[in-house]
Amino acid sequence: MQVANRPSSQADGTPDFSVEPSVVLKNPSFHDITEVISKPIESKATLKWYIALAFSMMLLTLELVCWGLSFYYGDGLWGNNIPVAWAFPIVNFVFWIGIGHAGTLISAILFLFRQKWRNGIARFAEGMTIFAVMTAGLFPLFHTGRQWLPLYLVPYPNKHAVWVNFLSPLVWDVFAVSTYFTVSLFFWYTGLIPDFATLRDRTLGKDLVSRIRKTVYSVLSLGWRFSNRHWRHYERVYLILAGVSTPLVLSVHTIVSFDFAVSGLLGWHTTIFPPYFVAGAIFSGFAMVVTVLVFIRYIFDMQHIITVDILEKMNKIILLTGTLVGYAYGMEFFIAWYSGNAVEQFVFINRAFGPYAWAYWIMISCNVISPQMFWFRKLRRSVPVMFVTSIFVNIGMWFERYVITVTSLARDYLPSSWGWYNPTLVDFGLLLGSFGMFFTLTLLFVKFMPVVSIAEVKGVMDNARPSHHGGDH
Amino acid sequence: MSTASHTMVYEKKALPAKVATTGWALLILGLLLGVAAFMMDALRMQFVSIILFTFLAGIGITALFMVSIEYLAGAVWSTPIRRVFEMMSSIVLFLPLFALPVVLSMGNVFEWMSPKAATDQVLINKAPYLNQPFFLVRLAVILGIWILFYVLFTKNSRKQDETRDQSLTARNIKLSAIFIPVMGLSITALSIDFLMSLEPHWFSTIFGVNFFMGSLVAALSFITIAVILLNENGYLGKGIVRDHYYSLGFAMFAGCVFWTYTAFSQGMLIWYANMPEETPWYLHRWEDGWNVITISLLVVHFIVPLFALIQRKNKTNPARMIFMSCWLIFAHMFDLYWIVMPVHSHVAKIHGPSIGLAELAAALIAIGFIVVLFQQQTKNKNLVPVGDPKLQRGLAFRL
Repeated sequence: MQVANRPSSQADGTPDFSVEPSVVLKNPSFHDITEVISKPIESKATLKWYIALAFSMMLLTLELVCWGLSFYYGDGLWGNNIPVAWAFPIVNFVFWIGIGHAGTLISAILFLFRQKWRNGIARFAEGMTIFAVMTAGLFPLFHTGRQWLPLYLVPYPNKHAVWVNFLSPLVWDVFAVSTYFTVSLFFWYTGLIPDFATLRDRTLGKDLVSRIRKTVYSVLSLGWRFSNRHWRHYERVYLILAGVSTPLVLSVHTIVSFDFAVSGLLGWHTTIFPPYFVAGAIFSGFAMVVTVLVFIRYIFDMQHIITVDILEKMNKIILLTGTLVGYAYGMEFFIAWYSGNAVEQFVFINRAFGPYAWAYWIMISCNVISPQMFWFRKLRRSVPVMFVTSIFVNIGMWFERYVITVTSLARDYLPSSWGWYNPTLVDFGLLLGSFGMFFTLTLLFVKFMPVVSIAEVKGVMDNARPSHHGGDH
Repeated sequence: MSTASHTMVYEKKALPAKVATTGWALLILGLLLGVAAFMMDALRMQFVSIILFTFLAGIGITALFMVSIEYLAGAVWSTPIRRVFEMMSSIVLFLPLFALPVVLSMGNVFEWMSPKAATDQVLINKAPYLNQPFFLVRLAVILGIWILFYVLFTKNSRKQDETRDQSLTARNIKLSAIFIPVMGLSITALSIDFLMSLEPHWFSTIFGVNFFMGSLVAALSFITIAVILLNENGYLGKGIVRDHYYSLGFAMFAGCVFWTYTAFSQGMLIWYANMPEETPWYLHRWEDGWNVITISLLVVHFIVPLFALIQRKNKTNPARMIFMSCWLIFAHMFDLYWIVMPVHSHVAKIHGPSIGLAELAAALIAIGFIVVLFQQQTKNKNLVPVGDPKLQRGLAFRL
């Protein structure tokens, strides 16, 4: 029976707050949902997908070449120098780790807050988290200079009693990022199990490709049979994983901020850094999710699942976190002035009006000013506007890390040791190439796995409500 | 499930007389003790009046924050109990009264007001911000803005009881969007003025956020006690269930953890960087026996609530929720004591932490005042926003 979606506005067009708005529009049946989400996986890849993949693999090749050169010749190919010893590698690392924050925020924190709208986008955001963390992880690994000795990052008992420096936040990073990656992966995979089972059951062909597919999906679905008991266990595990992931969302970027904030360096040591980095990470992560979802919902005909309402809510969070980041910039400036300390004051004047002022003002205009457009409902709901803004936010957040890292290192306490930083071609190649790695993984993901959670979306549809048939259930 | 099964049956009932009696008794006893404490040790009472003011100011404004965040986020679970939030936020109307003792004794408590400040180069540099006229202007602006927003929010909300006009909700949503950034800046400024500037050499960028979170937890605790007592005795009609208590407990838990997170950010980073501009503030709270207080604060404000509130069975148990709310109200007072009183010890040249009549008086005044205020507020207002369009959805809220 086709029932019209519940109206969430009154006769005069103003919103009706007494009705819960529908999460999924057009009132599809459960079967329609399965069909729409499975379609990209089960049908042949389109030309558009191949073109996109070719382009992103080109960038990936660039990254591989640059990593290869860095491996063969060493880190001397980069622009890093003394005093700017941390440059592009750490900037890119923090940038990608930040991108990876939206996934767990959406899937874990919004789950605990019982936000139903998250169900349509959680899967994709989680996938993106995994790819972003993978992309990020390569930068510090190569920055160590001896990529073949990563085992030294891990503390393990040995006869030489050589331990890692537990007091170094860089070592905490190793724990924080690897824990985050592991838990995110499990969380993602747990959510995928029922969907893999759906895909397994839908694969009926007898040809070789279908048989391979069936085997792969069977193994991945771990014998899921949609029984009541399975669902009970699943829900319990999902809740626990959400609880475990929630502190991780905060801890990872907190520890990344410690990399800077524990030092005595000017402009790095300020107590607001941990929550400010977390807010910034969520900000950039949401922007990246919006950038990509705008395309996905269009290409895969999912406008009724990934609705404008959902995108609007994401834009509200972008506005909120962008403003929080603005609050942090403001507090840094205010406290530098309030401190009455000439050195503290110099750092921020140097940032805003010194030789790197261009980077600072790019950061301010992209991060603080551009999201302010989202105060207006029309702009918040306009797909072109949100796409452009989300790109601006990503640019701004990259520059934020650039400003923090480079301006503080280039001019520290001793003017005699001041320096300048020029990135090399290899640096730019790695930055550009990292997008290739990220988008290649993303494109493979959207082709071979359900990009929206089939099971979870069904749970928030109008049909799933006990009151759907007028209280018959 | 039809919406009819969640229709609220609400009849306004007057609170029993003993509420007013208890409130007035606590308040009057507190005031008498306060006068006695002032006679015995004026300086201590002057410092304690900062605790009293910041305690009430934080609770009033964060209760209003809870009102605005409900509108802005479109939350429904809190709609049936929103009137309690609104009544708690009426504290802001009386804040000028509580600010008065602090303003009158500014010269004794704020180091930047003392004659010594004229010879201290750092304080000379800070004088453009830390001076009495600008301080008073800021205070007046902040309190003025808060009172204005309180009046606007509650006027619309009450009007809706009669008109049931949905455009009032839309209006309050717009108001919330303006209010939240304004509140963020103003509560930061207030915390810097009244608490951070007590040790004017010290500075920390996270301080305002930390004060906000501490206040939010205390406000939620007062609200929780009021909601549970009212509901269990049938003053909120029928329909508010333990799932609503759970949500309050959830918010308290999250607030506690986030408070700890900001406190940890500040403490750990200052400890690690070990810079002479910043460490004295923590040394004043560690040496001379203050380390006992610092460690107790960690236990009281974080470890106990962490284990108590993480369990669902505690968050849905009315008696345990009331206990934890009382606990967290104490924790917030203790936090403010920890921020303010080491400065008093330093100025009064007392060794180690001490407690006097003044602290007891302040606690009685704060609690007595909130009870009296609440009782007055309930006299001629509905305890449930009966005209709110989200009310039925809020009553239907289940975990």
